Amino acid sequence: MTPIWHDDTLKHVSVLGIGNVLLGDDGFGPLVVEMFRCHYECGSSVEVLDLGTPGLDIAPYLYDRDLVILIDAIHMEATPGTLCLFPEDELISHRAELHLTGHDPGIQESLAHLKLAGHAPRELIVLGAEPQRCEFGAGISPSVLTAASAAIVALARLLKERGVSCQSRHPSIQPNIWWLPQGSPASALA
Amino acid sequence: MWRGLEAILRGRDAREGWVFAQRFCGICTTVHAIASVRAVEDALQLEIPANAQYIRNIILIAHAMHDHIVHFYHLSALDWVDIMTIPKADPVRAAAIADGYSNWSGNSHQELLAVQNKVKGMVAGGQLGFFSHGYWGHPSMRLSPEMNLILFSHYLQALDFQRKSAQIVAILGGKMPHIQNLAVGGVMNAINPNSLATLNMDRLAMLQAILENLIPFVQEAYLSDACLLAASYPEWFRYGRGVTNYLAVPDLPLDAKATKFDLPGGVIMNGDLSAVRPILNWQDQPFRTAVAEDVTHAWYQGAGLQQPWKGESDPDYTDFVEEKKYTWVKAPRYNGHPMQVGPLANILVGNATGHAGTRKWTDTAFKAISSVHGQNVTLNDMQSTMGRHLARAIRSAMLSDIALEHLQLLQNNILGGDDTTFNPPEFPQHEIMGMGMHEAPRGSLSHWVVIEKGSFTNYQAVVPTTWNASPRDLQGIPGPYESSLPGNPVADPEKPLEVLRTVHSFDPCMACSCHTLDATGQEITQVKVL
Repeated sequence: MTPIWHDDTLKHVSVLGIGNVLLGDDGFGPLVVEMFRCHYECGSSVEVLDLGTPGLDIAPYLYDRDLVILIDAIHMEATPGTLCLFPEDELISHRAELHLTGHDPGIQESLAHLKLAGHAPRELIVLGAEPQRCEFGAGISPSVLTAASAAIVALARLLKERGVSCQSRHPSIQPNIWWLPQGSPASALA
Repeated sequence: MWRGLEAILRGRDAREGWVFAQRFCGICTTVHAIASVRAVEDALQLEIPANAQYIRNIILIAHAMHDHIVHFYHLSALDWVDIMTIPKADPVRAAAIADGYSNWSGNSHQELLAVQNKVKGMVAGGQLGFFSHGYWGHPSMRLSPEMNLILFSHYLQALDFQRKSAQIVAILGGKMPHIQNLAVGGVMNAINPNSLATLNMDRLAMLQAILENLIPFVQEAYLSDACLLAASYPEWFRYGRGVTNYLAVPDLPLDAKATKFDLPGGVIMNGDLSAVRPILNWQDQPFRTAVAEDVTHAWYQGAGLQQPWKGESDPDYTDFVEEKKYTWVKAPRYNGHPMQVGPLANILVGNATGHAGTRKWTDTAFKAISSVHGQNVTLNDMQSTMGRHLARAIRSAMLSDIALEHLQLLQNNILGGDDTTFNPPEFPQHEIMGMGMHEAPRGSLSHWVVIEKGSFTNYQAVVPTTWNASPRDLQGIPGPYESSLPGNPVADPEKPLEVLRTVHSFDPCMACSCHTLDATGQEITQVKVL
């Protein structure tokens, strides 16, 4: 949950998984968040959240943060499972399309609002993986599952590089990937 | 609504359906979770403790206020507000105008000047970014630079209140989005007034404080701004009428057995606002037999009406064929009729049934529009594009009063010694059917479930946007969106701003889609789920 009172001596960080867990590899972000939460422990100033597909409701989780890392499936015409980092300027340099297209507003719009209001995050990074299939009930593809394992290591490194406390859990917690199709080997994720 | 959902839910334990249901849509997470547990509880004829009703109700209201604020300011205000005129505004004059129509405390000329300077900087630096695609300078934009400045400064302030309403949901729901505190049979919040780890007096006081901070924005800024828009664009009470059959379902139950409700339900046909058939409770038999979905023009196999408990959703994609199948959206019908759902239906039914809160806030809005702005608006005028916007603001003001009342009810109940929040469900071996209703921010929602041996054998959701965005049915009768557009003026065919005004007034939910980013940051929609 959003902290109500901040301890101003610490960096306030949001690690946010974006995507619909019911749509196959689109659930990459929530998957990484669940795996990261189970393998690493961060300080109280770091919130690690599966946001689903929040549209404009992402704004409260970007509000006044020192650092935001968004984890999402990204189409970049690469081999499925390719992992990439994008700094904020690459994300927002591409203008959002007309509302008329029916695309729901989301990250770019929320960032634009927060900038004008003076509450934008100080640093924003997108960590993305090329999806293989975003189909209803498809589960996570093997290549994207491999990318998720690499992504949690990359996440830990990104946080440590910025002086944010993040330690491996020993032992780790068993991830709860409840949304995978029944009978799929969720234990392989541990 | 395109499913595949049955494929996921069939065979699942009925106690966990809500966890999946709240992933149907990224924005309306909470509403599907609630409708799902209510459907299973209905099948079991399981009542839930009063505490659980109040906790659920407070979550639902906070979610609705959040949703309505974001819709008005961030999703539709720029259809009416031209931010490019803001550099020309006089902030001192703007502050005087704002004080003339609103008691909101955030209208000082210093605050307005600060917003103006930000907009000036953005325009001068060519850094319009997301704002570069607005219909700026469009001939249908009519507000003065000062009014545009006031409304845009509230647009930015709304971000803070969006956060506050999310905090309320998070405190009770454990997490936001995707609350974690629900259970078939109640809620999982532990209550102990003296324990630090549970829902205690401190938490209740914190909820009260956040609500008391949020409510003035809803009642004094949002509602006043909606009245200003209504008075400034009065011709929009004549456009966008659409389907004038209205459906609202009862919600915000006041007791464990859900016999009394703080939000009335009812059916109004053919725009006859004096004749309402009240829906008094969730057992309402006419509702259960009236609702059916038509798939004649949707990409599913078959044609004609299907009762939701018997509904199938086998895809039959044909590409866009106007005379045959052209959408993933099914056509819900009520006794064969298309219905308009949403805050307008809610407000019309509330006035027709004599609901005190609805009447109080409708009168407040109408009086403000006439005494401050010199325009007369009637309930009949509300059946329009502007009426839907105004109804949403009236509903928000009314709901915010109820939020405080339900917090008080919860507190009284706890102090009276009741700490129960959960009645354990027991599933029979034979087949049972249930239906869960919720009057969601976008309108009436119902989940229809069939359960056998504790697992789902069928699951259908009839969602607000399918009522409103419904395609034509077997008889060729269009739904509310489609019938609201003929007659809308279009000043510039290249820039159909007026079409957006009417479509946005329904608050279409377009977020239930698979959205991933491409490498340039452009969103790609894989599957459109409405």
